[in-house]
Amino acid sequence: MRPFHPLFILEIIPELVTYLPVTLGMVLGTVLFGGMWGFFLALAKVRRRPVTKALAEIYTYVTRCVPSVVMLFVVFYGLPELLLSVGINMNGVDNGFFVIVTFSILYAANISEVFRSAYLAIDKGQREAAVSVGLTEAQAFLRIVLPQSIVVAIPNFTNSLINLMKEGALAYTIGLIDIVGQGNRIIGRYQGSYTLEVYLALAALYWIMTIMIQKFFGAVEKKLSRGKKELTTAA
Amino acid sequence: MLEIRNIHKTFGGNQVLKGVNIKVEKGDVVVILGPSGSGKTTLLRCINFLERADEGSLDFDEIHTELKNASRRTVNKIRKKTAFVFQNYNLFQNKTALQNVMEGLTVARKVPREEAEVIAKEALDKVGLADRYGYYPSQLSGGQQQRVGIARAVAVRPEVILFDEPTSALDPELIGEVLCVMKELAREGVTMVVVTHEMSFAHDVANRVVFMEGGVVVEEGTPRQIFQSPREERTSQFLHRINRDYDYSI
Amino acid sequence: MELNTKFMGETLVKVLAGIPVTLEITVFTLLIAGPLAFLSAVARAENRKVAGRLIAGYVSFIRGTPVILQILFLYSLLPSLLNHLIRNVLQLDYNIFDWNPVVYAYVVFIVNNLAVLTEVFRSALQTVNQGQLEAGLAVGMTKRQTYLRIIIPQAMVAAMPNLCNSTIGLLKSTSLAYMMGVKEITSIARTAAAYGYDYIEAYLDVFFVYLVLCTVVQLIFKGIEKRISVYKQRLAG
Repeated sequence: MRPFHPLFILEIIPELVTYLPVTLGMVLGTVLFGGMWGFFLALAKVRRRPVTKALAEIYTYVTRCVPSVVMLFVVFYGLPELLLSVGINMNGVDNGFFVIVTFSILYAANISEVFRSAYLAIDKGQREAAVSVGLTEAQAFLRIVLPQSIVVAIPNFTNSLINLMKEGALAYTIGLIDIVGQGNRIIGRYQGSYTLEVYLALAALYWIMTIMIQKFFGAVEKKLSRGKKELTTAA
Repeated sequence: MLEIRNIHKTFGGNQVLKGVNIKVEKGDVVVILGPSGSGKTTLLRCINFLERADEGSLDFDEIHTELKNASRRTVNKIRKKTAFVFQNYNLFQNKTALQNVMEGLTVARKVPREEAEVIAKEALDKVGLADRYGYYPSQLSGGQQQRVGIARAVAVRPEVILFDEPTSALDPELIGEVLCVMKELAREGVTMVVVTHEMSFAHDVANRVVFMEGGVVVEEGTPRQIFQSPREERTSQFLHRINRDYDYSI
Repeated sequence: MELNTKFMGETLVKVLAGIPVTLEITVFTLLIAGPLAFLSAVARAENRKVAGRLIAGYVSFIRGTPVILQILFLYSLLPSLLNHLIRNVLQLDYNIFDWNPVVYAYVVFIVNNLAVLTEVFRSALQTVNQGQLEAGLAVGMTKRQTYLRIIIPQAMVAAMPNLCNSTIGLLKSTSLAYMMGVKEITSIARTAAAYGYDYIEAYLDVFFVYLVLCTVVQLIFKGIEKRISVYKQRLAG
């Protein structure tokens, strides 16, 4: 066995951190595009139009059954050919594009469920009360229902974000150079001498990011849920 | 039969019981009255070791123990001599009414299954639930659930049953059926300690009323004495407040 | 875009042969990690000191890092570590590298699911009302009896939806076992595809097989949940 060099972990973290923007950019891009797509899916699920509702449900079900890595390969190999058949050449497109497309497809399904359950968690009486005092439907939604839904959605949203970030570590399998990709390059540079150290450094980075995301959204939730606290009687 | 001396209990700096003594004889129906936060419920829970008191001793028949460091065996022994009826019923959600009543017999007291079933059915019949053996708690009304709770307590033939505000989670129209069952038990000579806000029950059924406030026993006596000629100012104030509330509610 | 349907059909048949391996990893992991996770969840609920902290830290670390890293790390560590132990410490002439790599897949997924399931059971135990324990003690049962007969059966029902989700998560993540050279569904498809570069067809096969497997898992859980949650059903009317 090769000797273990704990200090090497600290040595390479700065180099790995320079690739964090790629990892985080992938996450943000996915949250943006997947989030929008997921919003429409959620809308289709709560509205009473049977065809779009059924389509949205089937989409969610199917995408949730597929391993990310399989979806990643299907998109990576399939999308260029699909687009080529309608005359679009994908040669030279950055691999990050395929990563964001893949994870947007998957993330939309997850986040649509988060949106849907948050919307349903708000008592119907809230909308009725808002309308009864003269607010329009749009106002009732934007001013009363939506703010409450957001608070309800935060824990699930946080989980979906963390899952997305962790699944995103698969992007290196199609050649994206994010922190994991760079980690593998470092391993190659030293002919595999520091494999364990590199993986531990990566694990540490992911763990820190997960904890930061949890802490951040925990604080946001606390701040936003002022109205939800129950009255506490003086002990 | 049961005697508690000098019981103290503090929750995070908040002293809830400040040296309470209480004595229960066989056949007694002791009702504990008092405003909320006076420590009544905590007292009851300490007797059954659902809370550990900080100080004080307990005598139960031949058993003598300090409350603070009673051994696991002693605790179990005392729990087997007592039964507890909870404010929010606490029926076992995954068991039917009959199974709820049998559980304490078959598991805790190793009564054979067939025998336990007979006892349990008898207990349920007594509380008027002969037609609800196979029902799960979620299928019963609050009043029915509490009657199962009482049957569960009765079935183990305890020497004393501790009632912790048994009717305060119930809708007004369901309170009567539960009080009725409790009155019947009292008539049969079952020893009971009852924390309640039901003045009529205290007045009609109890043979001793204990008034607590601020973690101490303010006074105790017969219902007649407490309701008609309380010695302590605080007792009469409390009774006044309660009676006024009654007037409003009519 | 044209799919090579003939190849797709042939590969599907080959891929089906990988199903037992995928299921083996999933089931074996659940059987080992499940009971252990239950114990650690109870330990965490009952012990707020050292043991509870250690478990919480373990769960946080495993759930805070990607499975793929856990695979890469353990697969680089374990074979050479075991080889070192056997040859140099135990002084045996035994070739660890002959082992079926599925062994490492078991280890990785057990390590991972121990954390995932601990969290599932912990939140399930929290849904059971504290009053249930008190009622058990009040009728004279011991804490252990109350846990076994009252609390755990209720917690299991509460855990079912999350247990189903985490099983599906596990099933899906076994597709990464190809990285350890395990001949499961994905790995068979990759090998078949590499010959003629028919990757899309091969992965669509895998896609389809997972769709079916997930559906079966969900049906099984629906069935179990229905059976064990009789007590929750309200009467009609």
